[in-house]
Amino acid sequence: MNLKQSLLIAFVLGVISLTAWECYWRSQGKTPTFQDDNALWASTRSRVEKLTKDDFVFVGSSRIHFDVQLEIWENLTGKKPVQLAMGGASPLPVFRDVVRNTDYNGTIVVGITPPLFFSTTFPQAPPISGPQEKVDHYQNRTYAQRFNQWLSLPLQRNIAFVQSYEDMLAGNFDLKSLIETIKMGNRTEKPIMPPFYDFGVISEDRNVRMADKFEKDSTWAQTVIDVWMFCLQGNADMPPPDKEGTSSFFLEDLQIFQERGGKVILLRCPSANKFREIENKITPREAFWDELVKKSGLPAYHFEDYKQLQGLRIPEWSHLAAEDADHFTKELIKLMQKDGAINL
Amino acid sequence: MLFNSLGFIAFLTIVLILYYTPILSWVQKKVMLLLASYIFYGLWNPPLILLLWISTMVDWTAGNQLAKEERPKIRKLWLLLSMFVNLGFLAFFKYGDFLLENFVAVTGAIGWDFQALPMDIILPMGISFYTFQTMSYTIDIYKRKIEPAKTFLDFALYVTFFPQLVAGPIVRAKDLITQFYEKKKATAQQFIWGLFLLTLGLFQKVVLADTLLSNTSDTVFGAKEILNVWDAWSGTLAFSGQIFFDFAGYSTCAIGIALMLGIVLPDNFMYPYASIGFSDLWKRWHISLSTWLRDYLYIPLGGNRNGITRMYVALMLTMLLGGLWHGAAWTFVIWGGLHGIYLVGERLLKKMITIKVNAWNGIFLALLTYTLVNFTWVFFRAREFTTAKNMITSMLFMNADGAKILDTVDVLKVFGLITMLFLCHWFMRNTNLKEVSKRTPSWILGLIWAVMFFLLSISQGSGEQFIYFQF
Repeated sequence: MNLKQSLLIAFVLGVISLTAWECYWRSQGKTPTFQDDNALWASTRSRVEKLTKDDFVFVGSSRIHFDVQLEIWENLTGKKPVQLAMGGASPLPVFRDVVRNTDYNGTIVVGITPPLFFSTTFPQAPPISGPQEKVDHYQNRTYAQRFNQWLSLPLQRNIAFVQSYEDMLAGNFDLKSLIETIKMGNRTEKPIMPPFYDFGVISEDRNVRMADKFEKDSTWAQTVIDVWMFCLQGNADMPPPDKEGTSSFFLEDLQIFQERGGKVILLRCPSANKFREIENKITPREAFWDELVKKSGLPAYHFEDYKQLQGLRIPEWSHLAAEDADHFTKELIKLMQKDGAINL
Repeated sequence: MLFNSLGFIAFLTIVLILYYTPILSWVQKKVMLLLASYIFYGLWNPPLILLLWISTMVDWTAGNQLAKEERPKIRKLWLLLSMFVNLGFLAFFKYGDFLLENFVAVTGAIGWDFQALPMDIILPMGISFYTFQTMSYTIDIYKRKIEPAKTFLDFALYVTFFPQLVAGPIVRAKDLITQFYEKKKATAQQFIWGLFLLTLGLFQKVVLADTLLSNTSDTVFGAKEILNVWDAWSGTLAFSGQIFFDFAGYSTCAIGIALMLGIVLPDNFMYPYASIGFSDLWKRWHISLSTWLRDYLYIPLGGNRNGITRMYVALMLTMLLGGLWHGAAWTFVIWGGLHGIYLVGERLLKKMITIKVNAWNGIFLALLTYTLVNFTWVFFRAREFTTAKNMITSMLFMNADGAKILDTVDVLKVFGLITMLFLCHWFMRNTNLKEVSKRTPSWILGLIWAVMFFLLSISQGSGEQFIYFQF
């Protein structure tokens, strides 16, 4: 047994195969991306501890995540906001975390996607469980996990194949995701969700912009629309709306936050076509959004109420195209400034 | 800190550089290893290092006093102090909530409406391992089997040595402390073999356990429905593979890392799924725990010295407590109890039937053993008895209309992988990795190593914790 020879062969073959793997995926159009995982969210959340009364925090689901652009916001307000929104999530656990576990008393912009916001307060149910997991991770993360995150960022920045497995997403190419692409019939006889490709590009500060191909190629946009329709037609594991429970949950935290001088703004970002129709049917504006605005007495911005927030490109009916998100952010800041909702 | 993390790779690199730097003396290197071990543990939860320190101080003092003291009563008191502190830690941190829950249940059953606030005690990582390790030290000195460690530094390093601190192997003092007395340096062969073992261990954990098997096991044991026979078996087999690759992977990493430092740790797994019978299984599965239980529990309980009935009682008690060692839940006790019943049953059977094992009936007997082991894994993995009951009935073909929740590919993947695992254990049962690799051409070993490294690199995962960390 010549172990030195074996080590040399392993090293050379290992480096060659990983280089070939990286080149292959880059030739398929894949580029290095940051993982919007618990670690990245937690490091973003840690910034809240140092914020002042003049700062901004965003909570909510993917709409505020895609539609409000951090760089534009920073350029116009002079303050870099903290983006804590996440896909498919209710804002309630994150709002509660910021209110109850920090001294922050600046402004929180709460993105309201009605079917998610008014869904449930049960910690194990889908629109709550995801953000709750991230909050728990932040509260319980170890120094070792912080060290790992710090070490992994340069790799995520430079190597395409460095990516972690994500349960819902198609198109990933870590080993587990690749194995899951192998299908043989439908043994469970349950409806199969269409492939759900990641249609956003995330940066280190968790800003998300829509990926080019989903803006420019309607075939790609259609893949996302197919997923929305699949979920909205009752296939997602979502509970029926609980308007009273969710509103009380939110108002309770709101009162605590306001008592220490914090400000909250509600924001309803655009949606379109069938998505909008189904949303209106499940959570009609008058009964849900209008009532929440009335009960909370908060400054609130619904895209339908402002001409400048309408007519924008929503390629997959739920999130704004990148340039339109820039426009949306600019106009939103102007409106908020005009109303005195934010003071610059 | 987890072996399967970037942080650990950086940590190990720094430790190795410092360890092999010529400017440090052997004592300084041991101090460095001790500090590194505290950092390794403290990066998880710094205040819990205090427990390690207390355990170290108490057992160091107790060990020295036991060696010096001649009066039997005083010696017994020192031993009891060591037991009290170590078992007290275990009782409070690991079994505190469990004891309280059962107390509340008992009071409820007798009509006393007692409500207790949950204690929410954090379970210190690896507490079951290092408390057992330090207890073996004081017990062995009490029995005059070993001398106390020469220096406090050697003893502290024995308690805290980072490769095996949180999930074993549980190493006896005579096997590890003595290695710290003289300067250690891995030979080039040892260092490279250690690196190979580290790669193999990580491959077992990250690729085989986490990437290929964990999802199936989690899906099946998390299901609310009563399952189809194929799904129930797939979930159980997946878990049997997952826990083996996870735990044996950790041990392999630990042995490999220690070897890179020139320290030899004992084997903890010897191809257990090819065991023929349950006595054989416990000589091959988690060897450092089963020998610990044999030497410090089964034999003191009487072992086989006091007649057959006492022997069976001792065996059952050992296995029940062994089950409880794994976790504070009745499902673990049942797991241990089943193994106890298997062991007793096997001894009874051996008295009645003599089977001459050969290659042909051997594989059948190994398969039968493995099948019976799988029924025990159901109790080990299920969080509730209802889940375990539903799984067992499904596995016994009693739920013909059970739900199908796994895809065909999942079922094929699990059965394929577990068949390979079983055959691999069967062909390796009378040899070991080192011997096989000696007979393997260098280029083939290099190729296998490269494939493992490649698959490991493209799996990555999110740094899943090792299952045995919770024990």
